[in-house]
Amino acid sequence: MRNFLIKSKTIENVGVLYPTGHLDAHSVEKFENEMIKMLDDSIVKIVVNCNELNYISSAGMGIIMGYLDEIREKGGDIKLSNVIDRVYEIFDLVGFTEIYEFVDSEENAIEKFKNVS
Amino acid sequence: MFPETPELSVSIPAKTELLKMLVELTNHIAVRNFFPASESRKIALAVDEAITNVIKHSYKESSDAEIKLDFFCSNEGMKIKIEFSGIPPQLSDAMVNLEKMIKAKKKGGLGVALIKRIMDSVEYSTIKDTNYLEMIKWKKSS
Repeated sequence: MRNFLIKSKTIENVGVLYPTGHLDAHSVEKFENEMIKMLDDSIVKIVVNCNELNYISSAGMGIIMGYLDEIREKGGDIKLSNVIDRVYEIFDLVGFTEIYEFVDSEENAIEKFKNVS
Repeated sequence: MFPETPELSVSIPAKTELLKMLVELTNHIAVRNFFPASESRKIALAVDEAITNVIKHSYKESSDAEIKLDFFCSNEGMKIKIEFSGIPPQLSDAMVNLEKMIKAKKKGGLGVALIKRIMDSVEYSTIKDTNYLEMIKWKKSS
């Protein structure tokens, strides 16, 4: 079994990323490439659906952090959805829970983006 | 406090592909040493962050370099000693200003902060070109 997989899709101009497995300094490049692809396609409303994400280290959080300013400058944002408890604990350790919006479901995250536009 | 002989010693090549194995190993040792599951996962994350820093910053991703880890366990807690050469690490603060880092479009800089928030004691030293990082986590009840 592969340690990390990333898939994505676009729903009504909102990009949804599906990181799966173990996101660390080894697998982070795949995650970053998918984030860059979204930006290249001018998608700046991004939901990271963490339902299948079992682990994240600072390498993965760095990507969510490093592109946020560019995304917000372009009128977008990053929302995190479906985060399991053990991963939420890690986000909370560095204060991500105060900066990013954590939403219980992907559908609600997309709906929140629609309400802003 | 801790026995002189480590419960386990491992030497690994400085490769990020081994991080997941180290996380699983550290988590296993912490659980076996009666740390709660949540604490054990955090100790494993601290080891991930420490080893990632060594690979990225001390060894500049040179994969033929080696890292040695010693795990010491006692009733009071767990100590992890990491031995490596290369560029001595720089200690950043446990506190990070996320808003500032986001404005600066920074992708790095959270690792040491995480280590310091998770572990109760974090000490770096360099003796004759060898760097040592000692991290201790005490059990809450002790």
